[in-house]
Amino acid sequence: MIMKLTKDLKVLLLIYLILLLVPIFVHTDLYLMNILIMCLIWSVVAASWDLIMGFSGIFTFGQIAFFVIGAYSSAILTQTFDLSPWLGMPFGGVVAGLTGLLVGLPCLRLKGAYVALVTFAVHMILAPLLKSDLGRALGTGGSQGILTIKPMHFWGYSFSSMEPLPWFYTALFISLLCLLAVYRIIHSNWGLAFTAIRDAEPFAKSLGINGFKYKLVVFGITSFLTGIIGGFYAHYVGVLSTRILGLNLFLILMVMLVIGGLGRFPGAVIGAYLATFLSEWLRPMGNYRMLIFGGLVVLLVVYMPQGIAEILFPQDKPGPLERIRRRVFPKERRASLSNDS
Amino acid sequence: MYELIDVIISGVTNGSVYAMMAVGLSLVYGVTKVFNFAYGSLYTLGGYLAFTFFGCGFGYPLVILLTLVSLYLAGLLIERVIIRPLRRREDWEMLAMMVTLGLAIFLDNLYQVVYGPYVKSLPIMFSGNLQLAGFMLSIQDLVIFGIAVLVMGGFMIFLNTHRLGMAIEAVAQDMTGAQIVGIPKDRVFGFTFAISTVLAGFGGILLAPKYFITPFGGWDILVKAWVITALGGMGSVRGSLYAAFLLGIIEALIGWQFGLTWILFAWFAVLLGTLIVRPQGLFGTWG
Repeated sequence: MIMKLTKDLKVLLLIYLILLLVPIFVHTDLYLMNILIMCLIWSVVAASWDLIMGFSGIFTFGQIAFFVIGAYSSAILTQTFDLSPWLGMPFGGVVAGLTGLLVGLPCLRLKGAYVALVTFAVHMILAPLLKSDLGRALGTGGSQGILTIKPMHFWGYSFSSMEPLPWFYTALFISLLCLLAVYRIIHSNWGLAFTAIRDAEPFAKSLGINGFKYKLVVFGITSFLTGIIGGFYAHYVGVLSTRILGLNLFLILMVMLVIGGLGRFPGAVIGAYLATFLSEWLRPMGNYRMLIFGGLVVLLVVYMPQGIAEILFPQDKPGPLERIRRRVFPKERRASLSNDS
Repeated sequence: MYELIDVIISGVTNGSVYAMMAVGLSLVYGVTKVFNFAYGSLYTLGGYLAFTFFGCGFGYPLVILLTLVSLYLAGLLIERVIIRPLRRREDWEMLAMMVTLGLAIFLDNLYQVVYGPYVKSLPIMFSGNLQLAGFMLSIQDLVIFGIAVLVMGGFMIFLNTHRLGMAIEAVAQDMTGAQIVGIPKDRVFGFTFAISTVLAGFGGILLAPKYFITPFGGWDILVKAWVITALGGMGSVRGSLYAAFLLGIIEALIGWQFGLTWILFAWFAVLLGTLIVRPQGLFGTWG
């Protein structure tokens, strides 16, 4: 896979380089390692949501539903067919992706708030469906959920909840793959087509971009990626119930996107880390936690709609990292200035 | 047979309140292009405000008056503080959805912190039943139906004859044109948002004696009002009316025959079926 080393990719790789080394200092702290793994999981969900909402301008609310579908499929498939979780996860992704295509089909003819409604409907219906007799027949365990999901294993070594390091590096690997896929899509012709459709659909169509095809593709890809990481979540946490379909997680994901900035790729990843830590930090506050999160969304959208991405790596003017670099290497700055003129 | 007619009557009563609330949601979307996620929470707000005023020992007329005035002011405030600043930006429609979603969760949790997680209820407005050709009609239901129909009728007349109502219609039809003839756009937006808040909250007061008030009870209402507006066509007030009564009756029939859990499935099935044939809803136009 050939990729241009843009600023976005550098930021992403820098984050992963830091994350690669972090366990050296904190690997004994089970709680902190758990939060870090959750950060990695949510970063993929947030980035795929950003791909469909921020880059393609399709206002969908189905991301958590696809996450849950991936998680349940992987859990059920590994259970009933005795598959390895390494196979279960991609299968979960495929099931989620197919569901995404199925949901995407009726949505493509609809506009703005209608798409939001249909995808939100999928989210709302999923919990009663998983709890119903039909769901129970498929093996969802009804309202109790699935209580025993196989942990992952590697060359005969079975992962345990007491040793976070294997989990962490697996999460690091899978999430990096998913995020690189998102990055690759954003910087490909497909990504260009998505943005073109978002910014000026009639013009994009007049240039011969097939809006139908690309919208369907983006639905499929984002739900596929979300489903894969959902499968990982199922095997990591070990239990699944319809509780994750509640509104709280929904809002926390929204906070991730708002903090990170819509349509600013590594932004959603950073937003996911910050929101996950903030959510854990506020956990002792009980009822006030979601109150604070709700207020935070309002304040951030009104006062900082571009998110943290605008502060860390602004699009037009040099950001803080760039400014520091220029101060440290003034010669290069002169060279780049003379190149520009 | 008698049972069937009873069920249909109950469907029509619920439909009338849904219609009133759906009209508010549809109006605000049609005029200001804001999809208001906090609509359900504003419905709950009506119930809680009325509950608070009852706590002060007022009677029904004064409580309703005070609640409606506070709802109007709350609507103006919300529009002014969190929605108007977004309008400058290009992608503001999406931001408006996100900001109202945040507001909804904020309000719901605020109710839970202030009023506690337990259900609250309002006293029954009118007790007793009315015998009519062998059917038992509760006076409460009749009054709810009457009030909802009166409010909607009055609102339609206001939209079509009053100066401000016509200004709202003008902005909904053509924002630039309305500005050219000197209609103050911002004031119309603020007024529309406030009126839709009042309609949602009034629905909350009317249904509270029947269905109770809970901190998160608004989500059900939001989804219902949303399905109704989508089925009727976003921004079409007339479409919302028909859709509300249709879905109200479907709700009563499904709840009677199959149980309450299937109501939302049935609604979404009807909605999806309609949207596949007519993506803009029954009476909607793209715009």
